[in-house]
Amino acid sequence: MTDPAARSEDLAAQLARKATEFETLQRVSWEINATLDLEEIYDLTLETMATLFAFHHATILLLEDDQETLTVVASRGYENQAIGGRVKVGTGVIGMVAKRRRMLHLSNLGQTRAYVSAQRREMVKAGRAGELGDTVTVPGLPNAESQIALPLLVKDALIGVFSIESPVPRTFGPHDEALVTIVANQVASAIHNARLVRAETTRMRELADEKQRAAEALQRVNDSLEIRVRERTAELERELRVARELLDDARKRVEGPLLGQSAAVQGLHLAIRQYAQGDQPLLLVGATGSGREAAARSIHHESSRRGGAFIQVDCTLLHAHDRSKLLGSLDPEGREIGKMRLATGGVLYLDGVHGLPLELQDALGEEIERIEATREKGETPDPDVRFIASSHRDLAAEIRAERFDARLGRILLQRSIPVPPLVARREDIPALAEHFLRKHARRLGRNADSFSTAALERLQAYAWPGNIRELRTVVERAILMSSGPVVEIDAEHFAGSKSLGSYRLVRQIGAGGMGEVWLGQHQLLARPAAIKLIRQEVSSGKDRAALTQRFQREAQVTAKLRSPHTVELYDFGVGDDSTFYYVMELLVGMDLKSIVERFGPLPPERVVMLLAQACLSLAEAHEMSLVHRDIKPANLFVTHLGSEFDYLKVLDFGMVKVEPGEETLHLSVHGIVQGTPAFIAPEAVLAAPDIDGRADLYSLGCAAYWLLTGRPVFEVSTATSMLIHHVQKPPRPPSAIAEQSIPSALDALVLRCLEKEARNRPDNAVALLEELRRIPFERPWTNDSARHWWQLHAPEALHRLQS
Amino acid sequence: MSAMQTNQLPDAIRPVLGNGVPCTIATCSSDGIPNATIISQVYWVDPTHVALSFQFFNKTIRNVRENPRASVTVNDLAGGAHWVLDLQFERSESEGPVFDVMDMNIEAIASATGMSGIFKLRAADIYRVLSVRRLDFSTSA
Repeated sequence: MTDPAARSEDLAAQLARKATEFETLQRVSWEINATLDLEEIYDLTLETMATLFAFHHATILLLEDDQETLTVVASRGYENQAIGGRVKVGTGVIGMVAKRRRMLHLSNLGQTRAYVSAQRREMVKAGRAGELGDTVTVPGLPNAESQIALPLLVKDALIGVFSIESPVPRTFGPHDEALVTIVANQVASAIHNARLVRAETTRMRELADEKQRAAEALQRVNDSLEIRVRERTAELERELRVARELLDDARKRVEGPLLGQSAAVQGLHLAIRQYAQGDQPLLLVGATGSGREAAARSIHHESSRRGGAFIQVDCTLLHAHDRSKLLGSLDPEGREIGKMRLATGGVLYLDGVHGLPLELQDALGEEIERIEATREKGETPDPDVRFIASSHRDLAAEIRAERFDARLGRILLQRSIPVPPLVARREDIPALAEHFLRKHARRLGRNADSFSTAALERLQAYAWPGNIRELRTVVERAILMSSGPVVEIDAEHFAGSKSLGSYRLVRQIGAGGMGEVWLGQHQLLARPAAIKLIRQEVSSGKDRAALTQRFQREAQVTAKLRSPHTVELYDFGVGDDSTFYYVMELLVGMDLKSIVERFGPLPPERVVMLLAQACLSLAEAHEMSLVHRDIKPANLFVTHLGSEFDYLKVLDFGMVKVEPGEETLHLSVHGIVQGTPAFIAPEAVLAAPDIDGRADLYSLGCAAYWLLTGRPVFEVSTATSMLIHHVQKPPRPPSAIAEQSIPSALDALVLRCLEKEARNRPDNAVALLEELRRIPFERPWTNDSARHWWQLHAPEALHRLQS
Repeated sequence: MSAMQTNQLPDAIRPVLGNGVPCTIATCSSDGIPNATIISQVYWVDPTHVALSFQFFNKTIRNVRENPRASVTVNDLAGGAHWVLDLQFERSESEGPVFDVMDMNIEAIASATGMSGIFKLRAADIYRVLSVRRLDFSTSA
């Protein structure tokens, strides 16, 4: 019989327990659903288990995306249960609950395990061990006796398993199953919601990351665009400089020859004005050097076509197969464009039209006829070009002699303008001479400002077979030979009157502080050559003899240089007036100083290609103990040999020093350090006795710096300051000031060449050459690149003589 | 004597059936040879039926197929009593809810011990309860 008091107490205890359970479930329901943090949900769940079952172990496992694995995400009560432990779906109690999606309540696991183990042993005894698989360690209490495991389901989809275990058999009853089921349902729902939020948050973060990446990519594109715009701007600026140069050049050509008040030149002006308006073809007839080009440019300038191009063609340089060069359009790759097309909207000036091959005369006549016929119909022809031809020959006579195409001749002779020779306008000579005096004195830095009366008389009396061009040369030469403001003209100034050795001086093609450069011709071979005259101010007999001897010895050594990249020395000697002269091969093209001044810095791949050629020249010279001592862009001449473009020749080995030091020959003015301040090596500044080829490498480094950046290594205002900087100041890397990007290897190599101590530079020109060749470029500078560059940028320079 | 007899399974026996304590089953062949063996669990099906697992008990199964009567003693250690169930074999189920629950329990253990597919429930044998008697340890001794 049951004691009523005890029963009452028992009921009260049961009520109290139920109340605790209810409260716990209510709290867990509220709290779990109030958070979206997975860790917090796990904690709350396990905490609830601790409250409901004093003696418990619990674990939460979630199903992986592969749907085959469960991973422990939270655990309480298992000292050795690692978070992250895994079990396959279908294995063990937990795996089976996941597989069947049903609760499993086991009360005496130990017993079952012992039973199964016994069966296993029996099988082994019976020789059936081969049928057995491995025993698998599953997450959970190793010695669990009681376990309730139930699936975490959201809308029938399994998301994991929740399990409570106890080491005591029969710990849990049916009531506990119900409690755990309630909690598990809450947990499943909370985990699901939190994971959704987490996934959404991750997605948002990914979107934000993606947005960030997109913004960065956009920034990179913008940066790249900015660089391209900058490069394009620099390119356009270069082109603008070229255009300005060309315009300036054109103006200078126009203004000179047409000066004067003579009836002849006034008549020419009248004809120019008369014919400027209109599009018909014109012919300018006049002697060589009389100013035909100036007249043509003046017509262009006076006409409504002045905004268009003035394209000049030297017809004597064209060959029969050059039709496309003259009349062609863009080739399929858009490279070749005929001169006629280039002149669209402007004027095509055909200089020396009599020299045009007959085949081209025929084709040109046909083109002009076609264009004129279109104009007659009131339509704009394609291309809209005006043709102005010039010749010093009588085209009518040429036609009669069948040396000129009759149709083209007929077209051109319809409007012919005579350009008077200088002798026909003698009264203009003083004005023209003074114009050239001002122009060249300024350019040469001389203070000459007038001619002596005798000089003017001589100028007016002379026959001027070379016309205005000859006048200009004579004036320029006279300025160079003069030492005061009043310029004298002597008989020897006139062309044809002077020869040096076997060479006759034809005309002056350049001048500098050291002297002049003349176009010369061998009197017997008729071979053209460049003749460099070097004035020196030693006058006394003994010194002069010693100097002459040294000069000869040095020239003999120089003449041994065989590198194709060293300008070839044909001859040398000393003139009657103690002028030393070198006779060198005549080159066409431009020196690197002029190229950079006109077109701006060169791309690194082109610089490397040019420097490599300079190294080849220097390597040979250094091998023969010759140091150039004046390597600079102006002495690096870029020419073309046949179809080989950007062929570099080192000029001016005339200033070389024969080692050792005592043999030094100062051909320049005494007291001035040899070399050019912007490009001189520190040891040359200090006049060190042991100067070797590495001084040239320093100068070559300076030249490279200038080619890459368009600026000298040191930007200072005086030569003295420049020399001090070479000795003392470290240079900034070219990449720090260049507008273009420079490969780091090239940047470093230039700086090594610029080391103050020669021993820190590359050992010799061969070593430098090898290092240059190792610099990688995505698009190396090829002969095609060079050919294209010259045709596009300076086609006229392909025929320009060295100066 | 606390023995009581009924042909309905009382609620009080349910926790005992699931307690995991091994039970004893006694059967007899058609020629009268008895056999007793241990079984791990007796499953509650409804108030008048229980289920036994058909796994390895070859002799028990053979006996029951010949002679459908069986006697099972369930041990209630907490309650200090035995429950003796007289049973009549009715049918063997290899699918359905009863089979599923029994199979799940067995497979859960077998899968973790390398016995999956070997230690396997072949069928759930359903027995009708003919009588249930509770015997206190003190009186049954």
